[in-house]
Amino acid sequence: MEFDKPNNELYKDQTNEGMSGGAIDKHPADQEIPKHSWFAKVFQNILISLIGVITLFVLIVFFTWLIPAIQEIPTGERTRITNSVEMKNDPEYKKQIAQITKDIQRLTGKYNSYTTGQSYLVINTTDNLFYLYKNKKLIREGHCSSGSYKMLKTEEGRSWIFKTPKGKFWIQGKITNPTWRRPDWAFVEEGLPIPSQDDPSRYEYGVLGDYAMALGDGYLIHGTLYKRFLGMPVTHGCVRLNDEDLEAIFHSLTIGSSVYIY
Amino acid sequence: MATDTDKKKQPGIAILIVEILILAFLVYYTIMAMLAPVIKRDALETEFGFIQDDKKENNRDFTTDSAYLSLLKQKSYLESRVIMANTDSIYLTISLPDSTVNLEISGVSVHTAPIKHYELSRIIKKGNEYVISSFLSRPFTIQKDYSSIPKEPLMIKMAPKDTSEYQPDIIPDTADFEPVNYIMEMDNGIRLFIYQDENKLNPGDHFHRITFDFRYRLAAFIETLRSVLVFKVPDYHPYIKIRLPRSDAKIIYRAMPKNGQVALFR
Repeated sequence: MEFDKPNNELYKDQTNEGMSGGAIDKHPADQEIPKHSWFAKVFQNILISLIGVITLFVLIVFFTWLIPAIQEIPTGERTRITNSVEMKNDPEYKKQIAQITKDIQRLTGKYNSYTTGQSYLVINTTDNLFYLYKNKKLIREGHCSSGSYKMLKTEEGRSWIFKTPKGKFWIQGKITNPTWRRPDWAFVEEGLPIPSQDDPSRYEYGVLGDYAMALGDGYLIHGTLYKRFLGMPVTHGCVRLNDEDLEAIFHSLTIGSSVYIY
Repeated sequence: MATDTDKKKQPGIAILIVEILILAFLVYYTIMAMLAPVIKRDALETEFGFIQDDKKENNRDFTTDSAYLSLLKQKSYLESRVIMANTDSIYLTISLPDSTVNLEISGVSVHTAPIKHYELSRIIKKGNEYVISSFLSRPFTIQKDYSSIPKEPLMIKMAPKDTSEYQPDIIPDTADFEPVNYIMEMDNGIRLFIYQDENKLNPGDHFHRITFDFRYRLAAFIETLRSVLVFKVPDYHPYIKIRLPRSDAKIIYRAMPKNGQVALFR
């Protein structure tokens, strides 16, 4: 059997078959590779790999850094500033300067009119801070709590995202001793069955603090029992404040006052 | 018949041809890439350049006067802000002379952040003043953005089936450690890069910024390559690169709507 032959024999058989007569065959083990040749091969491979890596690196740098840098090399002529006296005395120049100055004054006036002298509230939902302004001056600032960005999902496919809306709002209603009417998600969140719309279990007293201000779409600015969470994003979309800040804001803002949330 | 020497030479010639082809492509790519800002500049000049019309009143070019230019820039910036203020949306104003970035809503400044460092594309910095002022007199709208942080850090929670499964929420982790870097692509071709910049950045933050920047550069290269391969001059995108404190950068990114608007005063 072929397999019974010693390895050397097998090798000879195979090589003799593929060779024309007269060739001298040697077992690879018998062939002596000069040491320096082996080193040269390894060195050559390392060198080729290194050149490959360097080429790739150079190409990456060329395409991603060098080309964008080349694109920034100045092209074309820059506006040459002369400030010539002759131009300044030109009636047309004076007319245009007067026109632009007038436009600027008009635009500035218009722009300044956007910031009201009345009280307004600014809420930063990223850092959970509030700023109360009156006569364009900051009169109070502190911590608040805003939406948690939690998405509550049920197996039936209903879902709610608890985030505070951003943009410009205005106070649509002011309530003293507000009662919380628990929406569906408040029951779903606790694994409770959802009661009917007028069920007494929907009403909770004293959990929203002494005051609440409505921003529309069910969003409120109100107090909280969980004061240790102030400054954190933990609410279901409303803005929570501590008792003193809530009272100050409630008395500063009137119906129609602006609330800016970002 | 090819001799042995010729056979040996063949791989050498092949390598040489490949090298020449690569070199030719690099030269071609470079030329196309260099043409891009020139074409952009010409397009801007055609769209926003000063047109002399003797029939009209107040129609002479005084852009060689610094006082006139300064007023023109102010007017452009105000025009942009007024346009944006007429919406109820949150928008961003960048004032380079004041080194500030402002978040505004309906004309009211709600957040101001200091610019620690900025860099402008040459076309914005040193282009024709009249053209650039006119170009910037309209606010630019965000079309796409790439960011290292999510716009809305949503956490999904499955509702418990009954009260036995209910678990009260744990206190959220408000530790602020994530690197904040983002790029906003505007409708007018401008790219706004906002990178975090603290007095002491961790080595990890530096590495993150480099990799974030590299990923975007690679994407830009692929976009350029696509154009070049079909013999089309690639689009050139002027840039505004700004470094802000991390917390401010985060506030701005989270506050800006998906298609928010930006105005620049330089």
